Amino acid sequence: MATTVDPKQLDNTLDDPAERSPLVTGGLDYEGVTDAAAGVWDADRPPLLWWGLLAVALSLLGLLGACVNHLLMSGTGVWGNNNPVYWGWPIVNFVFWVGIGHAGTLISAILFLFRQNWRTSINRAAEAMTIFAVVCAGLFPGVHIGRVWVFYWLFPIPTEHLAMWPNFRSPLLWDVFAVSTYATVSLLFWYMGMVPDIATFRDRTRSKIGKFIYGILSLGWTGSSRAWHHYEIAYTILAALATPLVLSVHTIVSFDFAVSQLPGWHTTIFPPYFVAGAIFSGFAMVVTLLVPARKICGVENLITIRHLENMNKIIMATGLMVGTAYGIEFFMAWYSGVEFEKFALSNRAFGNYWWAYWIMVSCNVLIPQLFWIKWCRTTPWFMVIVCIFVNIGMWFERFVITITSLSRDFLPSSWAYFHPTWVDLSMLVGSFGLFFTLFLLFCRFLPIIAMAEVKSIMPHGDGHH
Amino acid sequence: MSNETENQTAASTEDQELVGLLAQFDDPDSLIAACNNAREAGYKKMDAYTPFPVHGIDPALGIKRSFLPFIVLSVALGAVVIGLGMQWYTNGGSIGGKSTDSFWPFPGYKFQISGKPYFSLPANIPVTFEVIVLSSAFATFFGMWIINRLPRLSNPLHRVSRFKRVTNDKFFLMLEKKDELFSETESRAQLDSWGAVAIEEVNQDLTDTKLPAWFTPLAFVGALLLMLPPVAIFGAYGANSRKPRLHVVPDMDWQHKFKTQVLSPNVGTKDNVDYLFIDDRAMRQPVEGSVAFGSMMDDSEMFYGIKKDAFEASMLAKDARFQLASTSSEDKDGDDAAAPAEDVSQWITGFPEGFEVNQAALDRGQQRFNIYCAVCHGYAGNGDGLVNRRALALAANGKAKWTAAKSLHDPVVKDAAKNPTGRIFDTITNGRNTMGPYGAQIPVEDRWAIVAYIKALQETGIEPVAAGESTDAEADTDAQAATKTEDAKKE
Repeated sequence: MATTVDPKQLDNTLDDPAERSPLVTGGLDYEGVTDAAAGVWDADRPPLLWWGLLAVALSLLGLLGACVNHLLMSGTGVWGNNNPVYWGWPIVNFVFWVGIGHAGTLISAILFLFRQNWRTSINRAAEAMTIFAVVCAGLFPGVHIGRVWVFYWLFPIPTEHLAMWPNFRSPLLWDVFAVSTYATVSLLFWYMGMVPDIATFRDRTRSKIGKFIYGILSLGWTGSSRAWHHYEIAYTILAALATPLVLSVHTIVSFDFAVSQLPGWHTTIFPPYFVAGAIFSGFAMVVTLLVPARKICGVENLITIRHLENMNKIIMATGLMVGTAYGIEFFMAWYSGVEFEKFALSNRAFGNYWWAYWIMVSCNVLIPQLFWIKWCRTTPWFMVIVCIFVNIGMWFERFVITITSLSRDFLPSSWAYFHPTWVDLSMLVGSFGLFFTLFLLFCRFLPIIAMAEVKSIMPHGDGHH
Repeated sequence: MSNETENQTAASTEDQELVGLLAQFDDPDSLIAACNNAREAGYKKMDAYTPFPVHGIDPALGIKRSFLPFIVLSVALGAVVIGLGMQWYTNGGSIGGKSTDSFWPFPGYKFQISGKPYFSLPANIPVTFEVIVLSSAFATFFGMWIINRLPRLSNPLHRVSRFKRVTNDKFFLMLEKKDELFSETESRAQLDSWGAVAIEEVNQDLTDTKLPAWFTPLAFVGALLLMLPPVAIFGAYGANSRKPRLHVVPDMDWQHKFKTQVLSPNVGTKDNVDYLFIDDRAMRQPVEGSVAFGSMMDDSEMFYGIKKDAFEASMLAKDARFQLASTSSEDKDGDDAAAPAEDVSQWITGFPEGFEVNQAALDRGQQRFNIYCAVCHGYAGNGDGLVNRRALALAANGKAKWTAAKSLHDPVVKDAAKNPTGRIFDTITNGRNTMGPYGAQIPVEDRWAIVAYIKALQETGIEPVAAGESTDAEADTDAQAATKTEDAKKE
């Protein structure tokens, strides 16, 4: 323990080529990490703010439940979907949420394979966010199928009365497989990574119910070195499996559009463009969530400004990719020489939905440019504002792609303007209720920081700075 | 926590058994050093317990590399076959010319999409990929836990209160009693010399490992009882019953609407029935004067083969239907010319305005004629069709009654004055004598095409012959020759 304070402990965003900047600040040792990470969970009562947020989230969840009930009782006509825009907000919301659900697995899998140690503090919360976002995403096509009680017809299950099977040539069916595989693998990955930390909770809890539940969930984990050996290999394999998976999911989501022949949809740039957009929106959501969460849960020494800054850099990079894709779309429309493509793209920017297009461009391309300035990407309250704009922009991106192309198809006589209903709006707002309810419960009852992983990247031997 | 300490103090009692010695270390480096010492001392059955994976501990403990990757690889390769096979089977792929859509009990289903093959690799790659990833992830996840022999409901290590910090910040090394070198005093001394901060005995409690005697039979009975509801449900699902099925989800099976051929709702009482509509029917008739789409038959020359003025006159005579339809019961002796009530002048003698006689129409007429007419009248119109020949043979033996099909080259049939084109059209539409009506099978344009083709056949100069003498080859050449005289027939 030195009497002079290491400047990097105060501001770990400083880059010194001779030495790695610390990823855990505040001079925490192993026990300190555990205490800090389990702070909110340790407390007898969660902070008042948590209750307030939960109340808001639960009331929005109730709104969602009421809307879904109304939808099931009355049919999909309660939405604004109508000729020619048969894919309205439900598909927009689906793609929006699935996109958000990409950051978690990206952080846990791809950054793991690239040995980016800074991922350890944020991966747990990001993975949780992924799963909750996929839950929200799955809801929309789930209720869009009309007769939800026969949802199992989506899967290749032999049924006597249907006497047919799914059509494996359809991108919509690929989507069923991609999203359900993604949800399952993300859940396995998340849970497996969490087992050692749940064991920590099992060993810390003082309540009998907690001992029982965490005891079962931790599967009898003891931290045996043999177990760790197989565990680490399994974790690497899962990361290696999840990496192509995470890229495939939004690729296949983009096939829903790209395999059709509608102008503005039928382009080969869609898969990479969608994947970049997914990572972009996912990281924006992680930052939006973690900035307040690190404050409320008291984990500022674990999720440091450096972590946030790194994520903001990724947001800026993917934002530029998305911006490039917007430009390339115009180039391809012009270069193809197809008048329908040219019309579709010029209609996007200057047609009836010009306002949506320019909201999208300013939120996704212009606003993230602020992150070139260091103050902007290292000031928590400011980056949250930018990231909220990014999320708004990414919702509008899906809106623009879906609605503008459908409302102006080949046949001018069927052109129409899309009008959402109050059910559309309430379900979008309500899905945030579902998302935040799950996230708040996660913050309170499960380890929000991958403690074991954070400890493994701490300076070895002398854990006491 | 207090009962654990009691257990510790009562370690020497009979119902406990020593499992091993647990040594605590405060940092990973001293743990690795101790592991190296233990391995060099010859211990084999030992394990280290750490809050996070400590790198370098595997060689120190002599842990062999995991074989998990090979399990995952074999599952992934199997998933390629399963993923592709599933799509091939369910979408009606075929093997050796035999498609799965005839397989029992779950046949494949062929989707006809733009003439594409039922199975082709590119369209099946995404799903195959997802199946591979999903199966491999399951293999990884469950394989890892099985290799680690987890989940484990009870572990004597958890009885050591100090061990709780293994998931927080402390590091442990356990020497197991099963090891050949293990001896309680000696091993303890060794651990002490390797720098252990604390050493604890790990004991297994033998008392609470036994289940109560009643548990097994009760659990068995309980499991059997739990199986009853699903068995009952599946039994009912597969059973035959005269009663309607239980509809858990009604779908659209019952709707608030009336179907055709039912009574209209009763607005009176049960005894004094009063149906809503005056004709008692729920089904409504079209408004008078309305014409269903595609049913406008205002051109009498086109649709009936009757001249316009004659048609109007007959409409005024009110019972137009009887006048217009020359029915098969009209004359008994089979002689058209002798039909008493028929006004031959009502029929048009050429073709209606909307129908153009040209090569395409004649080709179409020939094709339709060969489908509908040739079976009786023969390809050349000689009345020697296969059905006619067979029926005549049967009639000759007294096995059937049959009126021979007319030869279209019969002078009476050929006579344009007695048999104008409108009448031929009417014959096709409504039938004549024993010939049945073809109006329902053959569209109007096709009927006129057949009429044109018949007129062309008649112009070829084929002599009417007895049944069976004409050949098909003859008819074909005749038909070709007939088209040359096309203009002459337009009249």
